[in-house]
Amino acid sequence: MSDQVTNQVTKTSGKSSLPASIAYALVAIAISTAFASGHLAIWLQNFGLGNYATYLEILVFLVIVVLAALATAMPGANRLTIISIAAFTGFFALTYNQEMLIKYLSLAALLFSIGMYGMIVSRNAVRVLMSIELMLNAVNLNLVAFARYVDPVHVRGQVFAIFILTVAAAEAAVGLAIVLAIYRNTTTVDMEKFNLLKW
Amino acid sequence: MPPQFELLTNWAQTSVEGFMLYLLAAIAIPCAFLVLFDRVIIRSGFFLIGVFGAICGLFLILQAQFLALAQLMIYAVGITLVVVIALMLTNPRLEQERMVAGQKERLGGLFVAALFFLVIYCALRSESWPISSLRMDPENVKLIGIALTTTYALPFEFASVLLLAALMGAILLAKAEPKENLSDISEGN
Repeated sequence: MSDQVTNQVTKTSGKSSLPASIAYALVAIAISTAFASGHLAIWLQNFGLGNYATYLEILVFLVIVVLAALATAMPGANRLTIISIAAFTGFFALTYNQEMLIKYLSLAALLFSIGMYGMIVSRNAVRVLMSIELMLNAVNLNLVAFARYVDPVHVRGQVFAIFILTVAAAEAAVGLAIVLAIYRNTTTVDMEKFNLLKW
Repeated sequence: MPPQFELLTNWAQTSVEGFMLYLLAAIAIPCAFLVLFDRVIIRSGFFLIGVFGAICGLFLILQAQFLALAQLMIYAVGITLVVVIALMLTNPRLEQERMVAGQKERLGGLFVAALFFLVIYCALRSESWPISSLRMDPENVKLIGIALTTTYALPFEFASVLLLAALMGAILLAKAEPKENLSDISEGN
């Protein structure tokens, strides 16, 4: 019964937060589109700030991040939507004028950071393993991008990616087996209750 | 002398590869966040398929056909299946408990992850990459096969031994104690 009540509460708060999320999405997409089409740089130039336009992408990124922080601070805001949009538009602004290789590497770095954050904050051990899979995938993306853009003749990057795939499969099997063994002994998968090896 | 800027008048000038990259990133990034923060953990296990599928698409536009299919088979099907089965075998009551660590851990994790991304991004930008202008060989699957059986033959064999050892170890770790199992079965019958 209490679970149903809390579910209803979260659902209604999600509905009421919809305008804030949509407003943030529109603002972030408008800023990044103006940046990509070059209107923003020309607009800055008209104000006599053309010298700062070389740092425009960092400026746009900071504006998006600060707006995201403000939007999540609003009461009942849907944080997941806002953070996703902020991450994507920030990634877009930081990489739009770069070469393709840097776009791929930045995307991989972003996915790796998301996996790292999840690995630190998750309390469910299986979710920690999922985050580790995310990080391994990001590394694979790096290697394949190197194989395409740096070494397209010998494609060594793809060979190394195959080895990482193998090790990831072994890691997933052993990790989940360990989680199951611990669950059988302690009847929990909460990371904060895994203190068997503590002094 | 301030740099000159031009308006991007023709959006069709942007490359298809860049467009596809951003499209797939727009799938992968929200799915990755949903994997971390979805309240129902089994659903976040399925969102993992979204991330892996988007990365499979990235491999395809990077012309790594073999790796794209291996990614689909191993990650999007195999590993996700194992993760979901592990979720089903472990405690479903945990969904209603607090899923994320306390405020201190969250701030620490956010700081570490953001700092990591910024450091990597600055390192990427400050490097001048030796980007090759050559095109990818369309028969790169053949190249991978030749490399795996000649230059990297020894690591390839070691990988198979590692997989065998890991699977045997996983079975040993995950299987229930035989005595309790036998008594359970006899009681059940």
